[in-house]
Amino acid sequence: MSVWTWLKFVTFLWLLRKSLKLARWLVVLAAAVVAWPVTVIAGTGYAAAWLRGWPPVRVYRAAAWTLVVTAAWLAALEASDPGFLATREPGRAWGMGWDRFSVAGLARTFALLAPVALPAGLALAGLIWAWRIYAVTTGLGGIRASAPITFDTRQWKRQVRTAKGLTDAPGAVPLLGRGGRIPVGGTIRAIGHRWHPVLALPAAACARHMVIVGATGSGKTNLMIRLWAGWFTASLAAARTGRGHRPLLVVLDCKGGRDARRKADRTRRLLYGAGARRVAIWPDEARLCLWDLPPDELAVLLYQMIDSGTGAAAYYADVLQAVITLAVTAPCGPPLSTAAFLDRLNAKWLASAWGDGRHPAEAEHARAAARHLPDIQLRYTTLLARLGPALDGPGRLEEADAWYCILEGTRERSVAEAQAMALTELAAHTATSLDGEPRAMLLAADDYSAVSARVPLSNLYERGRSLGIGVQVSAQSWQGLGATEDERYRIAATADGGVFVLRTPHPEPLAALAGKRRVLETAHRLIGGAWGDEGTTREQRAWNADPDLVRRLKVGQACYIHHGAATFVHVARPKPSPLSLPPPPLAPPSLPPIEPEPVPRGEPASGPDPWPSPASLDDIFGPETPR
Amino acid sequence: MTTTPNPFRALGLPERPDLTDEQVRAAWRSIAAATHPDRPDGGDLARYTAASAAYAELRTPWGRSEAYADLADRAGDGPVTVPLPPVPGEAPPVPGEAPPVPPWQSLLALTQVPARIRSGRPLRLAIRALIAAGLALIVLQLIPGTPAAPADILGLILWFVLTGRKDLAPPPDR
Repeated sequence: MSVWTWLKFVTFLWLLRKSLKLARWLVVLAAAVVAWPVTVIAGTGYAAAWLRGWPPVRVYRAAAWTLVVTAAWLAALEASDPGFLATREPGRAWGMGWDRFSVAGLARTFALLAPVALPAGLALAGLIWAWRIYAVTTGLGGIRASAPITFDTRQWKRQVRTAKGLTDAPGAVPLLGRGGRIPVGGTIRAIGHRWHPVLALPAAACARHMVIVGATGSGKTNLMIRLWAGWFTASLAAARTGRGHRPLLVVLDCKGGRDARRKADRTRRLLYGAGARRVAIWPDEARLCLWDLPPDELAVLLYQMIDSGTGAAAYYADVLQAVITLAVTAPCGPPLSTAAFLDRLNAKWLASAWGDGRHPAEAEHARAAARHLPDIQLRYTTLLARLGPALDGPGRLEEADAWYCILEGTRERSVAEAQAMALTELAAHTATSLDGEPRAMLLAADDYSAVSARVPLSNLYERGRSLGIGVQVSAQSWQGLGATEDERYRIAATADGGVFVLRTPHPEPLAALAGKRRVLETAHRLIGGAWGDEGTTREQRAWNADPDLVRRLKVGQACYIHHGAATFVHVARPKPSPLSLPPPPLAPPSLPPIEPEPVPRGEPASGPDPWPSPASLDDIFGPETPR
Repeated sequence: MTTTPNPFRALGLPERPDLTDEQVRAAWRSIAAATHPDRPDGGDLARYTAASAAYAELRTPWGRSEAYADLADRAGDGPVTVPLPPVPGEAPPVPGEAPPVPPWQSLLALTQVPARIRSGRPLRLAIRALIAAGLALIVLQLIPGTPAAPADILGLILWFVLTGRKDLAPPPDR
């Protein structure tokens, strides 16, 4: 074969290929023109999906909804012209459209064909959009090599915008969804999970164990408050219908400070809107009684609250434990207050308490420990004084619907650690107590790493699981979840309620929990600067929760990892329904105006005050009121 | 525990737990200044005493929470957090089994729609309604009396309901 013949053969092949391609496109174009109402709807649906970053399933669902229109049209047609002649109607309308080729004629044809064209067009749009996503992400489509990256970035931006728009709508993300689910926010992107416009978790997910990791300012507080309020609303609704117990929410804010007070106030307002009656803020407004614990548990707790050290200090620790057990489990009953407990750390008291002749061993222990008692008393006096009166009662967890406990973990770490131990012990006692009303409990520990040095988070977690209470834990980073890699992994991997990851600098270990998915990657042969028509496709693995994407999440965006899949979500700010409470107060009650002249004050009465005074007279005659 | 019969009423405030310190203080100040016994006209000792006691109870958020809960306990309405008492002669609900929803429940929900519209995004809803109504009129103008007309209008209503429901405020129990 000569060179010329070979060139002619190659050119012929090229022309043949191009002609076939052109013919294929011409056929598609002809079909699009002929079925123009379907084309119009398919184009509109495709454009909407592209512009709003919808997944194809969103378009398919729209197509399914429009079948209602088709059904209504068939019913109307059958009623007006019986005999199942409906199949002829679209053809007749389409033919009439070509006869009257004007804007009004086309509009009339479109209106006549809409019941059929709507589902067909939207289904077609979904199919084309799914193919486009497939082609671009696998590298089969696109003009440039960077097409998959550009496409993904652009779609992410659009998905974020759509999710944010949905989240801002007043009725899209209420505190409680259908079927007792807890809506979290508008879905940005679902990878492996079924896509829904709003991510909603079953209330049971909150009643299990959940981990939330996010840096300061990433929207963690918002998310947690939403989950608390959602869980409370769902549990309350279940209790009202006899399907569950009354909820009891216990929040440990382990960082403390002014922010914690603001957060507590916000949580309280939200819970009131959700139907709570009593929301207590500890230790600012309400107290709890440590001494209500059963003697054995109380003795163990009091022993653990003191840092007893290791090595040579172990000897002292044993003595300490023996003394505490003697003081708390004395035959006359456990102490009822801090003062009563401190009184017992006294050789004389212990000797008389156990010296009834029926407890010779305990009496001997009390005698042996006598020389250590002043030291032990001093240590407990110091500790309990630093803890303050907030654990000295009166008050029990079950008396309120929710407790917001503020621990000053940043300012006074050792005190906060002791308080955290006491509060978790009280929560555990409330959960297991048989004499009280059973309650559905959620124990949420915000920034627990601030106090986790003496009570590892995994202990809290495992304890919660064994007691049947939900535990929700948050930390600022992966490292904040535990002291060792093993402990961190144990906490995250056993979070059967799911893991929320917000913006954090090291999300890899958490993202790994979502696993990877199989993707296709296509390599093209380049001819000069353009793609040739040869290449290979191979299977690769990609993160379900891409760590780089998680690192770049904006405020309020989160990635929910559950069952080896991930959903990116824009968390909605929690707000109760404006209809759940009476309308806001009007202006202060109208009263007759007061004369501007100063009110003469009488001499103080010699007897008791005839009228009760407010705590501060500044409230009445403050600086803004003329005296 | 509340000692005043209704401390909210004594201060002329609505019965709700989420009042702010400032609202309670303002109500107290105005009543105290108008009824204080040291006023030249002698004030109103009874009202002043009641307001003082009420203010002492309501001055802290926890106090308001307690007073609100006590009132709800007494009234038996409001945001109830205890399981509802069983109706005499009727078996109590079995845990795990939801009681049947009364048929008028959906009608009751319909009565809340105007309030939900007002508290939602009424302007957006109005725009949606106008678009749907306008398109429905065009359909009626173009293909009157054909079987496709009611179907198209049903489609427009469906679109309005499905896309407009997110512009309503959530119902009270959500």
